Amino acid sequence: MFHDLAPQLFNGLVLGAFYAIVAIGLSLIMNLTGTINMAHGSFMTLAGYLAYSLVLRGTSFWFALIAAPLIAVIVGIAVERTLVRPLYRREPFYSLLMTFGLSLMAEEIFRLIWGPNGVPFSAPAALSGAASLGFMTFPTFRIFIVVVLVITISALAFFLTRTRFGLRLRAAVQDTEMIAALGTNTQVLYAVNFGLGIFLAGIAGVLAAGMLGLSPTSGNALLMPAFVTVIIGGMGSLFGSIVGGLLIGIAISMTTLFIPAASEVSMYVLMAIVLSVRPRGLFGEEGIFG
Amino acid sequence: MKVRRDLVLFVAIVVLFACGPLISPLVHIDLSILSEVLVTTLAVLSVNLLLGYTGLPAFGNAAYFGLGAYGAALTVTYLHVDFVTAVLAGAVAAVAGALLLGPFLLRRRGIYFGLLSIAFGQVFYFIAYRYTDVTGGEDGMNFPRPPFGPGIAQVSINQVQFYYISLVVFVVAMIAFRAVVRSPFGRTLIAIRQNEARVRYLGLDTDRFIFVALLISALMAGVSGALFGLLINFAYPLELDWHQSGNFVLMMILGGAGTIWGSLIGALIYVIGKDIISTITPLWQIFLGALFVACVLGFPRGIVGSISALRRIASDDPEDAASNEAFDVSAPIEVGRGV
Amino acid sequence: MLEATDITKAFGGVRAVDNVSVAVREGTIHALIGPNGAGKTTFFNAISGFTFPDHGRVTFRGTDVTRTLNWRRIVMGMGRTFQTPSVFPELTVDENIRLGVRAHAKQAFQLRAPRGAAAAAVDARVDELLGFVNLAAHRGRLVAELAHGSQRLCEIAMSLSTEPVLVLLDEPMAGLAEAETDRIMAVIRDLRQRLGLTVFFVEHNMRVVLALADRITVLDRGKLLAEGSPQEIARDDAVRRAYLGSEVLERV
Repeated sequence: MFHDLAPQLFNGLVLGAFYAIVAIGLSLIMNLTGTINMAHGSFMTLAGYLAYSLVLRGTSFWFALIAAPLIAVIVGIAVERTLVRPLYRREPFYSLLMTFGLSLMAEEIFRLIWGPNGVPFSAPAALSGAASLGFMTFPTFRIFIVVVLVITISALAFFLTRTRFGLRLRAAVQDTEMIAALGTNTQVLYAVNFGLGIFLAGIAGVLAAGMLGLSPTSGNALLMPAFVTVIIGGMGSLFGSIVGGLLIGIAISMTTLFIPAASEVSMYVLMAIVLSVRPRGLFGEEGIFG
Repeated sequence: MKVRRDLVLFVAIVVLFACGPLISPLVHIDLSILSEVLVTTLAVLSVNLLLGYTGLPAFGNAAYFGLGAYGAALTVTYLHVDFVTAVLAGAVAAVAGALLLGPFLLRRRGIYFGLLSIAFGQVFYFIAYRYTDVTGGEDGMNFPRPPFGPGIAQVSINQVQFYYISLVVFVVAMIAFRAVVRSPFGRTLIAIRQNEARVRYLGLDTDRFIFVALLISALMAGVSGALFGLLINFAYPLELDWHQSGNFVLMMILGGAGTIWGSLIGALIYVIGKDIISTITPLWQIFLGALFVACVLGFPRGIVGSISALRRIASDDPEDAASNEAFDVSAPIEVGRGV
Repeated sequence: MLEATDITKAFGGVRAVDNVSVAVREGTIHALIGPNGAGKTTFFNAISGFTFPDHGRVTFRGTDVTRTLNWRRIVMGMGRTFQTPSVFPELTVDENIRLGVRAHAKQAFQLRAPRGAAAAAVDARVDELLGFVNLAAHRGRLVAELAHGSQRLCEIAMSLSTEPVLVLLDEPMAGLAEAETDRIMAVIRDLRQRLGLTVFFVEHNMRVVLALADRITVLDRGKLLAEGSPQEIARDDAVRRAYLGSEVLERV
């Protein structure tokens, strides 16, 4: 059992990176507009299926990896502009309910188009081997996943902290009215922000399809750990989402190794412990209300 | 005057439901579907207490509902208890679940409460899903419907008897629920929905109120879940899933948040609608999703809420219009207000 | 009555309130003034338990309440209003005040409406408070339908319903017309004269402050600028500079 420890730990980190990137997308949308996007998993699944169809039609995996998330972003922005936007002035609860309804519809639509069962979507030949790191070997595709997720998250961090638009976005999270007063078009900001969240979900969706399989509900399977990640890391903290995601990934992979029946429960235990010590999550801001 | 009108309406509806076994063949709706309506109403009321009245985005009530179902299933399967004990076991399991989760949920309000409810609500799903040896895992648990009480001979309950048991529980729950939301305690919950900070600045520990509301809610959801499990003789993980929570919330919004009759109407439309549509087309879920979207965008006050709003417009005197709200304690509202 | 010592509260590096001490003496009407952004409301929040201060100590009636939860302070005898009237907009005036009276009578948690003497006592107290703020005629109306000034009166009545000894009023005149301002001023005077309460209020309308207060504390950019009687404050050079061009001060 213990010789499985290192590979399982690595698996946990890969899984954690997925949770982190999904959680960051959720967190972006939640922070700016107060929308808990229950359809986030559906967008992941959508990107996965789009990549599957693209590869099936002869495009390369690399093209699909970029194109599928971008198509998902277009769908996402269309949804945001038409369905979610009217709800910004209402209680956040309504957008939660709306996106929940969307996820139900999406699931059934995926079933209609791509069939009720999972479809095979495997990594390209170049990535399907295993890489030896001397003391042990890792599947190349998983290493590739880690590299892509790290690049994506770094690019996002750069965008949010170093570009004008990113800075505006962060300022808008603090105070939407002030940004509006300064002349930034908040509606554009909302749309871009939503699209950004969906893009992250899309990337994760394509990669997850290659590693964890692709079925009408596969995206939703990552949604719950991502919620837990947001709670553990602290809402609105990019760094918190990364740390939270990795913690959960490791916790789940370790319990899978030792007590398989408790694999999901472990993240709840972790969440309960974190919340007992820090009600706002590891990197959330302190306060009394809210 | 108003109390009498409420009473007449209530008695009329109970009498109508009492004729259920006569009506059901006429409208081609199975009696078990009517039982399901009555049972589901309790779960919708449980969401209503938290979301409609107290303003907390309770998106995890399926946890208590499912705990109720599993509480009944486990005690019947392993301890061979009678019907009444099984329902009580379900209720106890649900309240125990709320006692466990409550301290964590209480820490936050607004969408964060919603997020915590969704996440924590799912923990029992995974337990039921994973502990295959005890719960049957994904396949769920089939269990026989036990005899009614310990002293009663081993006669199992038939469909009609089950229906009347549900009706009695329904009547008791409706009366109790009305008493709770009209009591000083219930008024305080409504006040918390409107302005929690002010309630605290009246010297009240709102956490305590919300915790008790959560326990009452879990109790109702637990009874509902136990009866539902006994109705279909089955407990399965999806009863605990967040999709189920979403369905309860939809029913509440559909009928009208913060209104008692709304919960019944929401459950009625949902359960019967599902029964009819799913026999016509396999795409029930698309209809359901579209119903969510349509409700949220076009019909946020729900049926009872919209009727009251129309009445208020039709009547010039606001006080008279307010009193038109049969059975209800306050104007129906849009839900989910945080601090 | 209330002593706040060395209160500091920062938001993201900015010290909104910096080392401010104020003592509110029993039986006084004490005003907290300062230009916009002086940290008045932040200070108020820190002493009323809406937030906790980063540093400093708050004592109320001789007890340290620095970390006491806000609702407990109310039970101890504090009352507070907010800048935008904090009421229950979808309940009637009567119900708004009744909630507070019930809270004080320890009936808020009951699952059955009280009857008999207990109910009569609550009714009497609600009537009394409605009479005090002169809203009896509007008791059946929803608070959301009331004029701004009446909402504020309703809020004051609510903060009185818990029978406080100290009332904290956060900009009670904000957004009010002249006539409404006079009405609230009369009520604040009554708080002390008829009910014998201590009042601590935030205000930036100098006319109101000079007419009402026995004692004035001036904040500027988070720091304590001056404290004294209305006459002393009106003559204070630092205050004059902070309020440069304020005509009211010239006339005093």
